[in-house]
Amino acid sequence: MSGTRLRHPVAAALAVAGYVIMIVPIGFVVATAFTAGSTLRFPPEGLSLTWFGEAVAYSPFMEAVVSSLELAALATALALVLGVPVTLAVHRGRIPGRGLLEGLFLSPLVVPELVVGLALYQQLMIGLHLDNFTTLLLGHTALLLPYAVRVTGASLALADPALEEAARGLGASPVRAFFTVTLPMLRPGLVSAGLLGFVTSFNNVPLSLLLQTRDFRTLPVTMLDYVQQSYDPMVAAASTLVLAATVVVAVVAERTVGFAKIFGGINR
Amino acid sequence: MRARSTLLLLLPGLAFLLVGFLLPAVAMLFAPPGVTFAQVIERMGAMLTDPYDLGIVWRTVRIGLVVTAVCVLLGFPIASLLARSRSRWAGVLLALAIFPLLLSNVVRTFGWLVVLGSNGVIGQLLTGLGLVEKAPQLLYTELAIVLGLVQLFLPLAVITCYSAVAQVDPGLEEAARGLGASRTRTFWSILVPLSLPGVVVAATLVFAGSVTAYTTPYLLGGSSQRMLSTQLFSYASVTVDWAAASATAVVMTVLVFLVSGISALVGRKGAVS
Repeated sequence: MSGTRLRHPVAAALAVAGYVIMIVPIGFVVATAFTAGSTLRFPPEGLSLTWFGEAVAYSPFMEAVVSSLELAALATALALVLGVPVTLAVHRGRIPGRGLLEGLFLSPLVVPELVVGLALYQQLMIGLHLDNFTTLLLGHTALLLPYAVRVTGASLALADPALEEAARGLGASPVRAFFTVTLPMLRPGLVSAGLLGFVTSFNNVPLSLLLQTRDFRTLPVTMLDYVQQSYDPMVAAASTLVLAATVVVAVVAERTVGFAKIFGGINR
Repeated sequence: MRARSTLLLLLPGLAFLLVGFLLPAVAMLFAPPGVTFAQVIERMGAMLTDPYDLGIVWRTVRIGLVVTAVCVLLGFPIASLLARSRSRWAGVLLALAIFPLLLSNVVRTFGWLVVLGSNGVIGQLLTGLGLVEKAPQLLYTELAIVLGLVQLFLPLAVITCYSAVAQVDPGLEEAARGLGASRTRTFWSILVPLSLPGVVVAATLVFAGSVTAYTTPYLLGGSSQRMLSTQLFSYASVTVDWAAASATAVVMTVLVFLVSGISALVGRKGAVS
């Protein structure tokens, strides 16, 4: 690495410290998941798969997995279906206050999620008696809208409007021009926004926290509650399974669009 | 595109945004159930004079600042190392830094329970080596919260600094080196100033994330080290004190807005000069 400038020992030491903090605790979660003992102790007492069996057999976790998948899939799909037209209007429409409008759709990123959760709990669940699934779906969709608008917007900005005009000039209807010309150009943005949205919704705690009921609970909040009540390695096993699933998602993300691109788009 | 079709495209998204976010947020502030806006303001005034509540605000700000400083201090070297490296390992290391962003915060924070807990890695190591008789209390301290939050937000700092460094033309640094500047001097007088706007963005994102995070202070801080977020949850869910919950929410939101505003001003000034 003779080409790098940061061979300075201080810089290298800081970088190593950073990686240790980011990665090592995750390794310990995996290590404790395979313990044969019944406490969160390190080094683990013996090796077994007991706690994986326990985690899979624990019905609150399994129900929560299904609930979280369902919520994340619906919210992501809804955010894309609502967000893509907004992107089109913002980028292709001739409207005043375009910047302001885009800012409005990005605003859910700015307000703390816990505050939004409180607002939805208080106003929609208690005030309007909406059930918690509907409230969660509304909240998660609003939270994912900024991702849908911004990330697909970045794709649209790269697409040449002349192609759509050509399609229209050749007699295609606006709807047909959208589906045959614009939408294919948006695909990388749609995949990125979809992946990012799904993961964000699936992992969310602050927004979902106050919106839980016995009938419909999300996985991260269920795991959080479990850790607080009992201090056994079952959550380590559940965490390891979540980690494994996340690795699969990461590999898919890297193969389809590329990691850095997905995350580069959201915080410009 | 005609104005009417533009409006039609916007309407469904706008409706969701209003119902799922904007209206409830505004209503929570002005009209919590059975509470008036005046009472929320009054509660906020009480919060900012009460030593216990003020202690929580101060702890939140303090933790936010420390986490931000540490994330920049660790994140910038990682970012500049990766952005300027020609090694093929740089891609792998970058992916390793981004991967945690996909992983659940609960899973990431849980790792610290294993590391810092009374039977955890550090405690066992210290007692095993005979350095201390009894494992020190590491969990449920501010240090634990800071470590947890640094782990959570360092990836964000790395990728934001990475795009900032990547935008700086390497030719400038080569020119400085060619004119006789040392590596250290080139780093401080070329790379750092030119990527500063990106670093400010990174710092803002980390601070806003830290002062609003819930999972980390809940698991690693417990009830003795309350932050605004855990306090808000307790008001909303345990004591059901709507005025206090709304007041806490306002303080938290204003804190984030204030810091974002300041950083936007700093960023604009930096771009001009």
